[in-house]
Amino acid sequence: MIQTEHLVEDEWVEWYRLTPVQRWLESEKLWQTYLALGGSLDPEPDTQSPFFDARAPRARPAHGRTGLRVLRRRGV
Amino acid sequence: MGGQACVFYGAAEFSRDTDFAILADAANLVRLRSALADLQADVVAVPPFELKYLRRGHAIHFRCQHPEVPGMRVDVMSVMRGVDPFSKLWRRRTTIELPHGTTCDLLALPDLVQAKKTQSDKDWPMIRRLVEAHYFQHRGKPTTAQITFWLRELRTPALLVEIAGRRTGLCRRLIPKRPLLAAAAARQVDELERALREEETAERERDKRHWLPLRKELEKLRHATARRAQGV
Repeated sequence: MIQTEHLVEDEWVEWYRLTPVQRWLESEKLWQTYLALGGSLDPEPDTQSPFFDARAPRARPAHGRTGLRVLRRRGV
Repeated sequence: MGGQACVFYGAAEFSRDTDFAILADAANLVRLRSALADLQADVVAVPPFELKYLRRGHAIHFRCQHPEVPGMRVDVMSVMRGVDPFSKLWRRRTTIELPHGTTCDLLALPDLVQAKKTQSDKDWPMIRRLVEAHYFQHRGKPTTAQITFWLRELRTPALLVEIAGRRTGLCRRLIPKRPLLAAAAARQVDELERALREEETAERERDKRHWLPLRKELEKLRHATARRAQGV
């Protein structure tokens, strides 16, 4: 019988071993962190979606800046 | 039915919108309008929030302005390609109760898998994770229905080969419905991988074809909206 760890990476093994409700709660924690860091609730545009409209207006964060900015970049 | 359901079932999607599958009838729309009003949600772009668009398979997109969820997107659909009508989805739904007492109704896993068979790259690894997670969770003492589901939906070659080797009779009976099971039964992993890629490509093409007339309709609605905005 194939073991989970032979098929997927460690983080997936842990994720699969959680119960559905535990996964839900972990996801809630991630949400809280994301929002605390100023993450936007507006979804990333998905150009492959049949609903994608390049001209559609997008919401901006209340403070007028993106929630994330590059402080340093190296390489390409 | 979207990211949150995927998380529950074992995939991991950080989806920032909330997708709802709803019953498209007049009474339900009244209830939905009331809930959306509580969220201070406005329709984003096209189509407008009307029954006829939901019944034709369009999604209606909303953006909430309530102070607790500023900018949150809500997408509502009623008809999805390859997915059973809402009445069946509702009968098969999974209801969960969260620790603070809120209950959520989610698409049953097989219905969620069907709904994810779209033209988008991101949905296919999701399907693989969803079915894998279900397999690892239930393989100790599976029912015939579960094994059938895995044989019909797994996208992981090694697991397909494993099940095909253990359930040869069931696998053989399902080959007419999923021809790539012949490669799984013969332990031809390269062939199986190729067939899985072909299966995905074909399904994505079907989804594109399904959306062609709907996309045209959306484009017309966008032009009409733009003309109205310009006072033409």
